Amino acid sequence: MSRTSSEDARGDRGVQAPLRARGRWPPPEGPRVAIVGSRRPSPYGEAVAEQLGLELARAGVVVISGLALGIDAAAHRGALNGGGVTVAVMGTGVDVIYPSAHSVLAEAILRGGGALVSQFPDGTAPRRHNFPARNYTMAALSDVVVVVEAAEGSGALITAEAALDLHKEVMAVPGSVFSPLSVGTHGLIRDGAGLVQNARDVLAAVSPGGEVLDDPLAPPGGLGFKLPRERDGILSHLSDVLALSAAEIARKLQLPIAEVLGRLTALELDGAVRRHQDGYVRALRRGKDSA
Amino acid sequence: MLGSVDSCVLAGLDVRRVHVEADYGRGDPGFFVVGLATTSVKEARERVRSAIKNSGLEFPSNRLAVNLAPAELRKEGTGLDLPIAVAIALARAAKRPPARSAFIGELALDGSVRHVDGILVAVRGLSNLGYEQIFVPADDAAEAALVEGIQVIPCRSLSAVVNHIVGVEAISPAQSAPAGVSSETDQPDHDLAEVHGQEEAKRALEVAAAGGHHLLLSGPPGVGKTMLARCMPGILPPLVLTEALEVAQVRSLLGELPRDRPLDWNRPFRAPHHGVSMAGLIGGGTGLATPGEISRAHHGVLFLDELAEFQAPVLQALRQPLESGRVSITRSGGSVTYPARFTLVAATNPCPCGWAGDTLRGCRCTPGGIDSYQRRLSGPLLDRIDLQVGVRRVPLETLASEPTGEPSAAVRNRVVAARLRQADRQGCLNAQLKPSRLRQLAGLAPTARRSLERWSAQRGMTARGFHRAWRVARTAADLDGSEHIEERHVLEALGFRLQDVAA
Repeated sequence: MSRTSSEDARGDRGVQAPLRARGRWPPPEGPRVAIVGSRRPSPYGEAVAEQLGLELARAGVVVISGLALGIDAAAHRGALNGGGVTVAVMGTGVDVIYPSAHSVLAEAILRGGGALVSQFPDGTAPRRHNFPARNYTMAALSDVVVVVEAAEGSGALITAEAALDLHKEVMAVPGSVFSPLSVGTHGLIRDGAGLVQNARDVLAAVSPGGEVLDDPLAPPGGLGFKLPRERDGILSHLSDVLALSAAEIARKLQLPIAEVLGRLTALELDGAVRRHQDGYVRALRRGKDSA
Repeated sequence: MLGSVDSCVLAGLDVRRVHVEADYGRGDPGFFVVGLATTSVKEARERVRSAIKNSGLEFPSNRLAVNLAPAELRKEGTGLDLPIAVAIALARAAKRPPARSAFIGELALDGSVRHVDGILVAVRGLSNLGYEQIFVPADDAAEAALVEGIQVIPCRSLSAVVNHIVGVEAISPAQSAPAGVSSETDQPDHDLAEVHGQEEAKRALEVAAAGGHHLLLSGPPGVGKTMLARCMPGILPPLVLTEALEVAQVRSLLGELPRDRPLDWNRPFRAPHHGVSMAGLIGGGTGLATPGEISRAHHGVLFLDELAEFQAPVLQALRQPLESGRVSITRSGGSVTYPARFTLVAATNPCPCGWAGDTLRGCRCTPGGIDSYQRRLSGPLLDRIDLQVGVRRVPLETLASEPTGEPSAAVRNRVVAARLRQADRQGCLNAQLKPSRLRQLAGLAPTARRSLERWSAQRGMTARGFHRAWRVARTAADLDGSEHIEERHVLEALGFRLQDVAA
């Protein structure tokens, strides 16, 4: 799945209709990477998308995504937190924010020097059949498409398909083999998609030649993701993929539930764990809360 | 010839005195009842006429008028049968009723006295109005005898009552003293020891029981939410006398009080179906409103399973009683107030199919569907629920093992101790503390305050949410036997705030 042509992919080849845009368009020069995936990701997937968005933006990449719930929103948010430019390719008119809860995010994208673009006329409401066409456009506008968590039949796989048609590079982030959200991404990897372990894998793909000489990521070396420092016995029992309930942790540590709940909350306050509907997971990095 | 006795009618839990006067004399034969009597009271004429005849007494053959005073008060119900008949009998015998006495009862055509609803409420009210000797249906004597400081005369038949008054044959008063009623509670149907795993939810139940907090259990179908909720009454202390009487009053009004055991020390547990109407849950009906499920659950537990499936207006109507512990309902017959201080235990699925958030089994709902499902719960109602906890599927190996949980009795001992601390300190449960008293009675250690403020800033908690977390922390400290709220108590309280997580 490697790209055979590089120069003509720069333009809007494959975009069927003239684009309408709000904000700064075209975006600044630089590589463009689309980050797409499930609208209902696991905490792990959301954290990965946010981290990739952040680090790619810091490296000067324009992060492209679809303004949808889940992975899309996390990617945009990450790019904004990294102080970068991000572009939302929409399946509605550029004046129709869908989902409406993302109007704040859309504003932030515009303020950050990015753009909202759409191939549909102003006022177009969300329509199921418009989104595959939008996914095609997203692929056309990007140099590389990174898929983070996609269940079977996910719209993100349509974007990946379109990218292959357009001879763009497709990459995927592996997930838990237990998770239905890994079926699509692991399928892509099996078929030859590049495996993404950190932002540098993506950067290597956007600069042909493969080697990133001037490593823009800090701290250099090691994994792109920083794991929080171990403070007490709880963290080592937590996974970053499968949520664990406080009761299970208490059982493993042989501690009273009241104490475990308190210590988990303390870790949560520090940003070291995240609470999820289903239990607790390890947060991939310390830092300010994004929930 | 004139005869008169006292009785009463009920408006909800309010008791209104009614003076029943009977007069007969010259004039066209007839039997008139005046004084704003509704249909059920007007019908008393036929029952009273037959009952008097069949009791071997003589029914006046000339003009007979019965007046129910005060005339402007609407009178409803069948409890006035007996006083009307006694007033007529006294008019014929030219006798006066015993001093400070009152009469309640429905008559059968053969002259026997039948049960009426609300005897306990009526007798308590009459006792407060200064009556000392109250004639009630024999069936209801045990119920009436729960009221202290009065003499209850059980009435089997109209003739027995008349014989008692004219001094032919006295009826012996019913045994009084509610303290004599056994204070045993039933063995709870469900014990926490039977619940496998779910320590987090069990702890939430304990905190809710100790502080009187409302609780929401959220989790996929079949993981034991209902089972957990049914354990709640078993970890609450038994009712005390005043509480038991308040519970019995509501049941008395509804005619649901068992004759052989009028006083029940078990906490009520009510679990209305999610199709329940507004009138069924809150109270209502035509004329004067009757108590609903929330008043039946007074001093006990109201369990609402599938919270999101309830009609939105019904849930909205829960807000006032959740705050104030009582409910006021206005209907054509007037406005009544019923007590409704219950602990709400609600259960919900996280989404319509129930499997959102489950890592192994996929959820098949659309994001929009989940959003609108959760929105039905959000806002003001959720804001009044102090504790929210996710209930997860229990791993198979835990299910297969022997239950090792703590029995309800042990948890109940801690709950009772924590409730005693609260009663000594503030005279009410923590859940009922107003913010001003909270500041006064629930000082936060500096580290505890810092954690609470940090969380509040991170999650954009409302002022109400802030105070709720504070109250729960107060309860955690009480369970811990600690007079000061330490950081660990605040952290535990914040662990039960699932709504700050959903984003």
